[in-house]
Amino acid sequence: MTDWSAFWLSIQVTLCGLAIAVAVGLPLAVLLALRRFPGRNLLEVLVTAPLVLPPTVLGYYVLVSVGRSSAIGRFWESLTGGPIVFSMTGCVLAATIAALPFVVKNSRSALEAVDPGLMEAAANLGAGFPRRLWTILLPLARRGIIGGCMLGFAKALGDFGVTLMVAGNIPGRTQTAPLAIYDHLLSGRDAQAQGLVLALTGLGILVLWLVNTWANPRPTDRRS
Amino acid sequence: MIRIDCQVRRGGFTLALSNQLGSRATGIFGPSGSGKSSLLLALTGLIPVEQLRLELDGEVLVDTSTGLIPPAHRRQLGMVFQDHRLFPHLSMRANLSYAKPSAQAPAMAEVVELLDIGDLLDHMPAQCSGGQRQRVALGRALLSAPRLLLLDEPLASLDRGLKRQILPYLRRIRNTWNLPMLMVSHDLGELLALTDSLLLLHQGRIAGQGDLATLAADPTTLELLHDCGLVLALPGTLNRRDEDGLAWIRLDGPGAAELACGDCPAAVGDRVDALLRPEDLVLARAPLVDALSLTNRLPGRIVQLTRSRNRCIVTVDCGASVPLLAEVAERAMRSLGLTVGDQILVLCKAQAVQMRSLRLQIS
Repeated sequence: MTDWSAFWLSIQVTLCGLAIAVAVGLPLAVLLALRRFPGRNLLEVLVTAPLVLPPTVLGYYVLVSVGRSSAIGRFWESLTGGPIVFSMTGCVLAATIAALPFVVKNSRSALEAVDPGLMEAAANLGAGFPRRLWTILLPLARRGIIGGCMLGFAKALGDFGVTLMVAGNIPGRTQTAPLAIYDHLLSGRDAQAQGLVLALTGLGILVLWLVNTWANPRPTDRRS
Repeated sequence: MIRIDCQVRRGGFTLALSNQLGSRATGIFGPSGSGKSSLLLALTGLIPVEQLRLELDGEVLVDTSTGLIPPAHRRQLGMVFQDHRLFPHLSMRANLSYAKPSAQAPAMAEVVELLDIGDLLDHMPAQCSGGQRQRVALGRALLSAPRLLLLDEPLASLDRGLKRQILPYLRRIRNTWNLPMLMVSHDLGELLALTDSLLLLHQGRIAGQGDLATLAADPTTLELLHDCGLVLALPGTLNRRDEDGLAWIRLDGPGAAELACGDCPAAVGDRVDALLRPEDLVLARAPLVDALSLTNRLPGRIVQLTRSRNRCIVTVDCGASVPLLAEVAERAMRSLGLTVGDQILVLCKAQAVQMRSLRLQIS
């Protein structure tokens, strides 16, 4: 019988991580899509680096940055009483790092695909930047943004390496579904692993199907 | 009264002009790349400018030299773009009401009625024709309570039939609200349907200003007008149809002159513009014409001769509200011995007269 606690922990962690990735990533995507500023390329490289770096390398950097002896880690601990590493916070951080590149890259492409002439027209009609963003840019780019979120969700749900390095593999606390599958297999609990494998496979395929059929921009979203 | 001082640099192109426009509606005309659209974009704040001062009826709206540089969304300069730029994810109604309500804006119902767009309100832009979209774009600009309406080639993306639909609405707007308007076009006929006050641009500078007759009287501006496709628009009323199928337009003006037109979709009594090209007009001394087949024979008096290159534009007063401009070769000028003050006949085929109905047509 599959123990679903790791699966539900994964869902919680992924949703929290995705929420943070959207809160951070969407403003970044708007910035990268609309503004030219010094260090723009560097920022883009930093945001998208998790796509190409080995998970262990990435995990190492995160451990060094937010570990208990780091400035951030100490600050966090003084604030909350608990460490970032080897806790659910660490899992959420790993999920955020996994989802962020997809949220930023897809949102940025979608925002850049919106006809700038429409933003000009909105400005001419008296709309300041926040209103233009809210009423024109984000609605027209919504499919790409939602697509990026879905891919980010799928990636974060399946994160293994960074989660293992930053949060460890503590059953009931930081053991997410991919870690649990690994654990079950090593311990010869194949049936338990299979349930989780099927659940993650189903979710992944569902997300891809949704992205392909619904979240891709339609031609009518461009200038008609 | 509009006063514009403007300097814009875009790539290798410089637009520099300083001008006072007396008319409420001014047509900005010139060849491609003369800076027509850049001027409108500079006024709206959508492109960077080196220097800009815009004064409207004594009030300075923008002055870069004193730091009065409101951002684009605070300028209240309603722009109608060539490509309508309706928001594709919003209904026509939501597009129309996009600008925040203002006490200075006309009522939505009034604009909807004036532009005949009541049936379109619940449609999406993609479901409507080019002419319908452009009318909604016009309405949207009007509802933003603009101090000045800027029309950037509003008809260029439409075919001829649709242009006929939009022009009367532009005239309605001009007549209803007396809103100051600047309309850019590379089609002189379109501009003349809206205004006889023209600003001719060439290579980022003002090449001439005034009505068509004034511009045609100067060899330099005449040359430019000619290169851009000089066309005359004579306002009048469709008076009758004869048994041969010709439509007779009674031209406005003291002479009550009549022009026959071969292809005429309007109804008797409609207000129309007769469109003529100067090169289609023939000048003749009276005794010579009896044996010719040409239908249109307008007697008139030569008021001006303007020479440029190897041709000459003869300005003839035929008693219409605007003078006729006939293009003749230099050699023909000499052989006819044309001089200012001569009585002359202006001839042209009925088929050479195009007609543009100014009656509102609902698509």
